Amino acid sequence: MPFINQFKAYLQQKIALTDEQFELISGGITVKTFAKNQVILSPGETSIKTYFVVEGLMRSYSMDSKGKIHIIQFAPEHWLLSERNSFFNQPSDFYIDTTEPVTALVIPRNFFMEASVHVPCIQDLNITMLNNSIRFMQKRINMLLSATAEERYLDFIKLYPNLTLRVPQWMIASYLGITPESLSRVRKDLAHKHFNK
Amino acid sequence: MENKIKSVFSILDAPQPHMVGDGFRVSNFFPGGYKIKMSPFFLLDYNAKVLLPPTDELRGVGVHPHRGFETVTIAYHGAVAHHDSAGNSGIIYPGDVQWMTAAGGILHKEYHEKEFSAKGGPFQMVQLWVNLPAKDKMSKPKYQAIEHKDLAIAELTDNGGEVEIIAGTYNGVTGPATTFTPLHVYNAKIKAGKSAVFNFPAAYNTGFLVIEGEISINGQENAGASQFIYFKNDGEEISVEAKEDSLILVLSGEPIQEPIAQYGPFLMNNQQEIKQAISDYNEGKFGYLE
Repeated sequence: MPFINQFKAYLQQKIALTDEQFELISGGITVKTFAKNQVILSPGETSIKTYFVVEGLMRSYSMDSKGKIHIIQFAPEHWLLSERNSFFNQPSDFYIDTTEPVTALVIPRNFFMEASVHVPCIQDLNITMLNNSIRFMQKRINMLLSATAEERYLDFIKLYPNLTLRVPQWMIASYLGITPESLSRVRKDLAHKHFNK
Repeated sequence: MENKIKSVFSILDAPQPHMVGDGFRVSNFFPGGYKIKMSPFFLLDYNAKVLLPPTDELRGVGVHPHRGFETVTIAYHGAVAHHDSAGNSGIIYPGDVQWMTAAGGILHKEYHEKEFSAKGGPFQMVQLWVNLPAKDKMSKPKYQAIEHKDLAIAELTDNGGEVEIIAGTYNGVTGPATTFTPLHVYNAKIKAGKSAVFNFPAAYNTGFLVIEGEISINGQENAGASQFIYFKNDGEEISVEAKEDSLILVLSGEPIQEPIAQYGPFLMNNQQEIKQAISDYNEGKFGYLE
């Protein structure tokens, strides 16, 4: 299946969109491949691109003054990733890079606006997706402020089930805002509760 | 009735190697490198002989899970230390075989053994994944540490060398490893100018990996070190003549006729079981290993 059809299928799961309509709106989308550990965006730069991951794993993160990495988001297959300062013509605070070799669709900034001329319900989908993204971030802020390490981990494995097999423990700890030692302890406690049960 | 010759389908060069962890530089002959039918063998990784410099660093593969199959590690040079969540640990020395039945689920890690790392030297290993039938996929994990001295030996005629039987049977001699489905794994050591004959049912998927030396197969085709000879399912008998002193890893087994679903370190029959394996691993049901 051509890569772009994965994005078509993604949209068709959410709205009534014919193949012909998709053909009409998808002209500006391009396919790009990245090597593992390739930095795609750095702080200070701007990029108005949104990436739809077809295969592989991307992440966005910041680096503090001590050089410690704080992972904001992972984007495995069929996740969208973008840096939003750039949408306001301001420089990025974050890095975007690849944790695995990636094939991604690059979706231009005005995709949803231009597509809605031809397919009006795309506008509603855009609003729903933005709302969903806000909901997701509200939950994430709340988890970071109030949840225990175990609650954060249990939420993580529901959201990203196979990432425990794809990234090192320290990256998961970084995303969860806990130390790698705490994550080890959580996993050890869970094993004690569940092993051979 | 005379056995029909099992003919060569193709002779495959080692695919471009890739790193597994930071300790194993392997060519994956299947399922990645070549799409060949080798069931019940699911995967063959070959770390061709390399000379490793001394190091104090711990090199290998960190803690990772497995479910639904067996890993078989065969050491030719170098030494690998391993630990698993069932509490097993040990060192695989040259000539030894570790036959680990992950089955229902295990965590393990494998590293170059400390003393070997400190000294450095030649390193050469094979890792096989042997699939399990659906009925045994969730059985209890177990572990067979087979030392070189415990391998069964069948001498070749005419002082031609010997066949070390790891699993299965050769000329009436049975190897020490117990398996869930019928299969044969040998190290055949054939002296220059001598020969050996192997017999497997036509339906058995069969392949030979040349570890050292150069051989002629069925008097027709030649294969050298690091090449894999993949056979057709058209007959039973294979004859091998060694052009020089040779060591061949012999694999043959009855195919498991069941659907396969694989994700990373899990080998199951369908996607639902894969999802379950990921979730069980995440929730600590494979145990814990530092």
